Amino acid sequence: MFKLNFKIALRNLWRNKTSSLINIGGLAIGLSSCLLLMLYAGYELGYDKKYKNADHIYQGMVNVYDETGHIARTHGFTQNALAPALKDGFGGILYAARTTDLYKRLVAHKTSSLKLDNRYADPDFLKIFDYQFISGNPEKALSDPNSILLTESAAKRLFGTTDVLNRAVKFENQADLKVTAVIKDLPANVSYPFETLVPWTVYERLNTWVGKVNWGNHDFLTLLSLDKNANIEALNAKLKGIVKRNMPTAKEDIFIYPLTKLHLYSDFVNGKSIGGKIQQVRIFVALALGILFIACVNFMNLATAHAQKRAKEIGIKKTIGATKTSLVIQFLLESLILTAISILISIAVVEVSLPWFNHLLDINIVIAYFNPANWLVLLAVLLLTGFVAGSYPAFYLSNFNPIQALKKSLNFKSGYSLNLRQLLVIVQFSFAIILIAATVTIYKQLQFIKDRPLGYNSSALVEITHEGMLYEKYEQLKSRLLADGAVIAVTQSSGSLTNRDGTIRDLKWDGMSEADKLIDFDQIYTTYDFIKTTGIKLLAGRDFDKQFASDTAGIMLSKKAVEAMGLKDPVGAKILNQGVVRTVVGVFNDMVWGDRTKFEVPMVITYTEGISEDITMRLNPQKSITESTASIDRIVRELNPDFPVDIRFLDKLNEVKLKNEATLAKLSNVFGGLAIFISCLGLFGLSAFSIEQRTKEIGVRKVLGASIGELTKLLSLNFIKLVMIAIVIAMPIAYLLMEKWLNGFEVRTSMSWWIFILTGCFTLVIAMVTVSWQTYAAAKANPVKALKHE
Amino acid sequence: MITLENIEKYYANKGIKSYILRHVSTTIKQGEFVSIMGPSGAGKSTLLNILGMLEEPTYGTYEFMGENITSLNERKRIELYRNHIGFVFQAYHLIDEMTVAENIEAPLLYKKIGGAERKSRVADMLDRFNIVGKKDLFPNQLSGGQQQLVGIARALAAQPSIILADEPTGNLQSAQALQIMELFKKLNEEEGITIIQVTHSEVNAEYGSRILHLLDGVIKEDVAVA
Repeated sequence: MFKLNFKIALRNLWRNKTSSLINIGGLAIGLSSCLLLMLYAGYELGYDKKYKNADHIYQGMVNVYDETGHIARTHGFTQNALAPALKDGFGGILYAARTTDLYKRLVAHKTSSLKLDNRYADPDFLKIFDYQFISGNPEKALSDPNSILLTESAAKRLFGTTDVLNRAVKFENQADLKVTAVIKDLPANVSYPFETLVPWTVYERLNTWVGKVNWGNHDFLTLLSLDKNANIEALNAKLKGIVKRNMPTAKEDIFIYPLTKLHLYSDFVNGKSIGGKIQQVRIFVALALGILFIACVNFMNLATAHAQKRAKEIGIKKTIGATKTSLVIQFLLESLILTAISILISIAVVEVSLPWFNHLLDINIVIAYFNPANWLVLLAVLLLTGFVAGSYPAFYLSNFNPIQALKKSLNFKSGYSLNLRQLLVIVQFSFAIILIAATVTIYKQLQFIKDRPLGYNSSALVEITHEGMLYEKYEQLKSRLLADGAVIAVTQSSGSLTNRDGTIRDLKWDGMSEADKLIDFDQIYTTYDFIKTTGIKLLAGRDFDKQFASDTAGIMLSKKAVEAMGLKDPVGAKILNQGVVRTVVGVFNDMVWGDRTKFEVPMVITYTEGISEDITMRLNPQKSITESTASIDRIVRELNPDFPVDIRFLDKLNEVKLKNEATLAKLSNVFGGLAIFISCLGLFGLSAFSIEQRTKEIGVRKVLGASIGELTKLLSLNFIKLVMIAIVIAMPIAYLLMEKWLNGFEVRTSMSWWIFILTGCFTLVIAMVTVSWQTYAAAKANPVKALKHE
Repeated sequence: MITLENIEKYYANKGIKSYILRHVSTTIKQGEFVSIMGPSGAGKSTLLNILGMLEEPTYGTYEFMGENITSLNERKRIELYRNHIGFVFQAYHLIDEMTVAENIEAPLLYKKIGGAERKSRVADMLDRFNIVGKKDLFPNQLSGGQQQLVGIARALAAQPSIILADEPTGNLQSAQALQIMELFKKLNEEEGITIIQVTHSEVNAEYGSRILHLLDGVIKEDVAVA
């Protein structure tokens, strides 16, 4: 029985090539999208979970209070004294390690030098995270004060081989280190990736300020491994006040947070996690299921529409003894076969499109073909889809009355069945329309953020890292660059213009209130030509000028800073900054420092020598970019030969910051397009079928005198009606969803009515095109042929 | 074997009942060869369908081999007609997606007969009707007469005790029709299979032993054939 049904199913597929193609095609697209998005969800959900001890790894977090005692911010940057304090003073904490953010550091040996992504870390780091060691001893790898640990690919890139134990390298052109271990590359979905690990003691040796116990400096990450039975709540309660005990002016508290939750639930309000990336993952899962649903709906619709063709077969089978159950099983089997073929195709599609997908989301998903869990999931998807898609047609078809089926007098216009099919089409299109409206809105928001003025002129602005010999040779560098003509302005600063990384509190000025003591100001340290290079607009006063010796104790305020301070005559006012009395030299217009999705905050620019991480330059507009960058490269290399030169364009850096939103936009574009495509496939199939059914009617009407236009309208109207209903239903839902999404942004665009008009018209046009070229062809056909049919 | 008592069938349309069959009562014994005749619209096909348990009468009782059909549930009814009744249609009604051999095999699959037994029965049928060479062809590759033969073979494969035939020769040329009727006669005489056929043709009716004349849903005459 199974063999026969299988044979018949395959023969049916072959005979109805177009409709099989539409069915399989639509289902394959739906399944591929679903699988891709599920892979992504799995990737994100699996972040940091592969460590042996993953459930017991925690990170130290900081809650910062405002003047009223409420928690203003939560972040993960802690003090250097925290880790040792935690390890010694609190039960339940087995290992504690400090580490830094990822930073490219120079690692060199005789024949090559590279900048590798490096973290400094305490030896306990290797006890908290278990890595697979190719060579070296995990117990000792970071204990030796002159050691360095490499990943497999880093070793290959640097040495050409992984057999590099005990080789010597020069680190940051300052420290001589020995390779003490090589480990296998880390999986892509970890929060703490690196290419090299260097002991914390090296960090302290190279930067003396790191070693000084300082409870006010939040520059480091604290990672902990807890005992299995540790009580987290009790521990967090005990942690309250630890900072205040060591620094009485502190207004913050420390708590520990599980690392496995950090990636997805990193948004904190009032000290409690309200979500984070998990929102995006949820959206993607919903998207995946939605598209699969549309594909299944397609399948159901087409299968029931073609029921008439199967009517005879069903009638006969019932007369020769088939029970309803056996017929249901037969049709479910057919849909499972169809689904299986679709799944095979979709696996191939996923494999082929994975590189593009990885590139789009900037991640690295690899399909684990050898993981049995994945195959089980696939099987579950196959069965679920096959049953869901096949159930309605199966029950619908097996209910046919045999005699009516044989006499072709089955009444297909019966109210119930047709309405369900129409309902499914409406649901399909509603979903697709919501996706399209979402796409338009997301793009609008993205554009809005991009168009937002930065407050400085970012085009033709480049930066390089201030390092090595460039410190002592800065003035030389500056004069040579200007003389060459490659740039027209040069400045140095404590941080890049694209990365907000410095704040100051506790500024003092005349007329300030108690509450003002707690205002955080963004702060950049710089020397001369900052305004000239960056193009920030001066509202009053001037930039720091060499001519005025007193400018070395100068400070500039942003417009919002002046407002926050309530200064009537800012220029010339005295500000007490970290013990130094500074004079306000100028007021500049607010600028966006780093995050373009947030409003500008009060900012100060303080003259300080010796604190500089970046050299920013404005390229000469008269010269070509390639020429200028080549000159810069040459000059910098001459002055600082030991370090490779990395010229970064600020425009690019800023663009990268909007990666999340850009990705969302691209994804909704792609999947919105797919959703519409699948829905139109369904519409195409349905209308083709409906026309076939009405061939005789069309013929008769033509003979009676109907024009082509009238016929086209008659045939199309039914379907267009459905799409219009879908538009009406989907619009309010889309509006609500988009409002909610936009409200998550500080800086947001408005929901314009033209978005919806555009979406509605677009969908309508597509639907009309899909349906009418068929109806037009049918209307033009020779009526005689149609009537002969009978 | 079959007893019909006061069978009625009507269709209700907005409150008005149109009767297809009324007061139909008759008995048919095993081994009979009965022809049901009458003008178009007399209700012949409906009567046959009721006999074949494909339709239910709106009134009356139908006893088949001692069982009251009207009181049986669908499962038991399917059992009964699966095992005892073979249907032959005017329009052959073969399944176009299956080959000749598969068509003949189909009812056996529903009877859950084992593979070897099925194969042997199908081979038997093919032999008997001399269509062995055509066993892998599809219905649309056969002539009308051949298709009808396959239809009959299918009906016989289940070894029914009664064959219901609805104008079996209606779509055939006279030579082929003759062949079919001779076959029926043979089946009836040599194997004792009860045959009830609906027919327009006087010639065909002569093959049987009894004729039921239907007019406007009522049995007008019940004659034996000379």
